[in-house]
Amino acid sequence: MTLIAHGLVGRSDLPIPEWLFGWAAAMVLVVSFVALAVLWPEPRLERERWRPLPGGLGRVLAGRPVQIACGAIGVFLLGVVIYAGLRGTQSPTANFTPTFVYVIFWLALVPVSLLFGDVFRAFNPWRAIGRAVGWLAGRISRSDLPAPLSYPAGFGHWPAAAGIFAFAVMELVVSDGDKPENVAIAALVYSALTFVAMALYGVESWIARGEAFSVYFNLISRLSPVETRDGVVGLRRPLAGLAALEPVSGTVALLAVMIGSVTFDGASVGSLWTGIAPDIAGFFADAGLSPQRALELTFLVGLIGAILLVYAFYQLGVVGARSVGGGFSTGRLARAFVHSLVPIAVAYVAAHYLTLLLFQGQSIAFLASDPLGDGSDLFGTADSQIDYSLLGANATWYCWVGLVVAGHVAALTLAHDRALALYDDAKLAVRSQYWMLAVMVGFTSLALWLLSQVNS
Amino acid sequence: MTSFAHAGHWLTTVAYFVPVVAFLVWLVITQIKERRRSRG
Repeated sequence: MTLIAHGLVGRSDLPIPEWLFGWAAAMVLVVSFVALAVLWPEPRLERERWRPLPGGLGRVLAGRPVQIACGAIGVFLLGVVIYAGLRGTQSPTANFTPTFVYVIFWLALVPVSLLFGDVFRAFNPWRAIGRAVGWLAGRISRSDLPAPLSYPAGFGHWPAAAGIFAFAVMELVVSDGDKPENVAIAALVYSALTFVAMALYGVESWIARGEAFSVYFNLISRLSPVETRDGVVGLRRPLAGLAALEPVSGTVALLAVMIGSVTFDGASVGSLWTGIAPDIAGFFADAGLSPQRALELTFLVGLIGAILLVYAFYQLGVVGARSVGGGFSTGRLARAFVHSLVPIAVAYVAAHYLTLLLFQGQSIAFLASDPLGDGSDLFGTADSQIDYSLLGANATWYCWVGLVVAGHVAALTLAHDRALALYDDAKLAVRSQYWMLAVMVGFTSLALWLLSQVNS
Repeated sequence: MTSFAHAGHWLTTVAYFVPVVAFLVWLVITQIKERRRSRG
């Protein structure tokens, strides 16, 4: 259970109780729903509207030299993570590896992807190495290289869901998940698995569907107005990227893992979990497990429980939408509206880890100068300090509420637009969204309750 | 006092979920009424 899971938050001094913010957020969602029903009578996001950046800038930004440079940076950073993790100090806060992986890579890339599109695709070290090896093999081989296997349709996003789940296990379940050596070994193992998969199914096929972090950041980047098409960077309507998402087998599971893992991370510090966890751990200890393994298994049970809870709640909304009529199966509806869960996942990550990114993220300044924690000062920033006054307790709470509400209003908008495209009858479309509204209000209430647990 | 404090803590947790519970109850009642109207 990582020591750097949560940022520092002081006690807030709010003018009204925190739970009243939850009621206000729910009212904002209801008002937004009514506004959408009245002011948004036709689907808009399904219509393509992409235009390239002017003056050839789009072609330059997505050009081969930029791709090669970004890929090289990604490979270099992966190398630093592995080297620093294996050779540096094993103190998590004094080693470059845990902060870079859990804060800079996992968290900072979220707002970057929201603003600038699928930036990770350019910096993806595994994709860069795969493409380089493929290019080299093509030059060296005297005959045509064998074609990769066709990516099985049944796999869908399941490998990506498994990868994100494994990352969550490392972050939230494993006792020494933030130990630099363990993070480095995990990076090596993940790299090996990814290289094998790319060799079997082809680099681009695996990156598009199976590689966990590519799929994860691509989903987030679909909220951005920036999109690269056919080697040109351009602009589209915000949220339109999600309307174009083609759900496949495992997409719902992936979103459940994304939201469920953050849910568990927040719930694990609350009194509800700390009340029942010792009983569960005791059960496993009585079964013969060591105290450490019993605790890890307890947290694994909690993580899986949170993921299943999120999945079940979404399915409740889907079953409810089906009960309104229209002739759609629950599977069809679940796939049709899964894209609306992406802004919720982003809101959960952004709110829950805001202070961790703002505070622990600053430490990369001195960790970059002293990556091994051995006293070096490569860039002259080894003495820099974290400024904890960047965001006060009250401002933090208001940011959390704002992020949660914004994410859920975006989710409502996506679901409403999809319903209009799906149902022939606009009134039926709106009625089907009552259940989705209930799901959104539920997720909003859950998000704010989880944040209040952290705050207390 | 501890039992009151504990109950207050639980009540605060419940307060967060009042909007979604109230909304779900309203939804279910509305759908039952609509089904009765369509049968009648």
